[in-house]
Amino acid sequence: MKKIGLIVNPIAGMGGSVGLKGTDGEIVKKAIELGAKPTTPQRIEETLSLIKRNDVYFMVAPGKMGLDYITKFDFKYEVVSKIGEETNATDTKRIVQEMLEKNIELLIFVGGDGTARDIYDVLDLKIPVVGVPSGVKMFSPVFALSPSAAAEIINTAGNQFIEKEVLDIDEEAFRENKIAAKLYGYLKVPQKPTFLQAKKEPSNVSKSEEHLKEEIADYLIENLEKETLYILGPGTTLASIANKMGLEKTLLGIDAVFNGRLVGKDLNEKGLLALIKKYNTLAIIVTPIGGNGFIFGRASKQFTPEVLRLIGRENIVVVATEDKIDKLECLRVDTGSLEVDKSLSGFKKVITAYKKETIIEVR
Amino acid sequence: MITNHHMNENPYLPAKSIRDAAVKGMENVNRYSEIKYFNELKHLIGNYSAMPLDQIVLSPGSDFLLREAINIFSKDRKIIMVNPSFFAVSEYAMKFARKLTKIQLSPPGFKLDPELILNELDEPALVIIDNPNNPTGAILLDNNLLENILQNKNVLLLVDEAYYEFSGQTFAGLIKKYPNLAITRTMDKAFSLAGLRIGYLLAGEYFKDQFSDFPTFLSRPTLFAAIEALKNPEYLSQNIKKIVSERARIEEELKKRGIEVFPGHANFILIKSKVPDFARTLMDSGIRIKDLSEVWLNGFYRISIGLPEDNDALLSIIKNY
Repeated sequence: MKKIGLIVNPIAGMGGSVGLKGTDGEIVKKAIELGAKPTTPQRIEETLSLIKRNDVYFMVAPGKMGLDYITKFDFKYEVVSKIGEETNATDTKRIVQEMLEKNIELLIFVGGDGTARDIYDVLDLKIPVVGVPSGVKMFSPVFALSPSAAAEIINTAGNQFIEKEVLDIDEEAFRENKIAAKLYGYLKVPQKPTFLQAKKEPSNVSKSEEHLKEEIADYLIENLEKETLYILGPGTTLASIANKMGLEKTLLGIDAVFNGRLVGKDLNEKGLLALIKKYNTLAIIVTPIGGNGFIFGRASKQFTPEVLRLIGRENIVVVATEDKIDKLECLRVDTGSLEVDKSLSGFKKVITAYKKETIIEVR
Repeated sequence: MITNHHMNENPYLPAKSIRDAAVKGMENVNRYSEIKYFNELKHLIGNYSAMPLDQIVLSPGSDFLLREAINIFSKDRKIIMVNPSFFAVSEYAMKFARKLTKIQLSPPGFKLDPELILNELDEPALVIIDNPNNPTGAILLDNNLLENILQNKNVLLLVDEAYYEFSGQTFAGLIKKYPNLAITRTMDKAFSLAGLRIGYLLAGEYFKDQFSDFPTFLSRPTLFAAIEALKNPEYLSQNIKKIVSERARIEEELKKRGIEVFPGHANFILIKSKVPDFARTLMDSGIRIKDLSEVWLNGFYRISIGLPEDNDALLSIIKNY
């Protein structure tokens, strides 16, 4: 029997739909106040439902950190440690340490970059991990592309492992309005790289890259329709568009513009839905995450399936510099709703510079 | 010593008579190349390609012809290309085309969806497609798609057949029917003349007129060697056979080693490796392959087919992973 640890960060991803940049530290209270609901149960249950191996024995964290989900399936398991009402990073680290002492051979964890950092603090390269993506920030390539991909990795994992980066947002660069991933360390993952997210390429700040972003902005602004609400997703490309319009954009957040005026700043799902109801004609402008190609479901969880359903595929404009788009196999979506993911898939034009575009598949 | 598997070069030297011809071209190197040699070369290329002499444009490498096409036609046309494509030309189009649409080819098949391209032909356009494609080695065009594109009178199609001799597929026969079709080829690859740089355009009527001012610069050694190569092309088919057979062998051997191989039709193969820093590790053993993550996708590498002994060396190192 293979001993597999399972730990879930129950609050990971909660900040996303209410427009927060993560759920690290005190932010979780704000997320709950804003009406955020846990997203991890669905993610881990999807993974567990697809695990076909019967040679596994789970060491699970208690309650909402693991036990609550595994009892819905027929796996053999044992509970490790105890937790209180509220959980935090200290719980994660303590439980993983105890699991290590109980000789787990692989650890499945559910969360985002913050969770990956906590795991790394204890685990280092001692045993391999499979990350089920559920966080707001997803820079680290230690995560599987989706919960089902995580199950596939677990089903087929052999004895070959590679080291992947644990990345998180660089707070210092972020304060200077730059998105950059900071390297915190490495975790070992099964050698199935086709399933793992490519790491987020830090936005290139070289002049030519900036110049191309300006070209994108010029072209878009030239083609903006009047009386249309434009919802601008996160990222430096979108910030550059707002900049050209004389507006200051929330770098990791979602803002809305109508007739050249900022009508929504750092919007969460509620804020977006309110605006969608108010305006008749609207469009979303987004840019994929460099390296992994996600346009929805990673950095901008405020774009929930409901928001996207109301906007419609034809009203989604994708922009990205050529350097970023050329290095992508495809664009990706993982909104949490298969039906919405399906409606967004197919070929899409991406604006790459002034009068320049690339047609690429959305998967 | 480093063995090159990264530039899609031919590992075999051209026949000795060709190298001797290049040396002979040095004898009067104080003189410019004479027009009669250009005409002789055009005449021979005409025979080789079944194309009238006046529809052939010579160039020091086919990339110059492709760049010139972008210069000439992007003034009033949209340029349509695939990505990835011949990187130097792709980069040039990004810089200088006034309007550009690229169609992303995705693994595993790298197929060009005919509908995507035909939907883009509602305005004057120049479509540039390399067939087989570099770096995937994939065949992107068939007669059906080609004719569907060319039936749009507003559309010009330029097919880069740099690797035609390895794929055996050419559309040169359709140039007579479609004045809006042209083909670029090179003697750098199959003819083993990369160091001399000889490219040529087989131009449909529309291209022919536009390229009438294209300056031809070929050195005397280049002209002499190219003429000799086309007069005595026996070495060509032997080398192609050897390279194609080695390509199949390496593909099979790499598959046995658990490497993802994308079957191609040129003198190189495309692979995806799970080994981190695969190219750098091979380089440590003196083998240089093309790491495509610099310009395209992470984990993808292009390996030019080398001499059998060099290919064996490559395979023996990969066996150790």
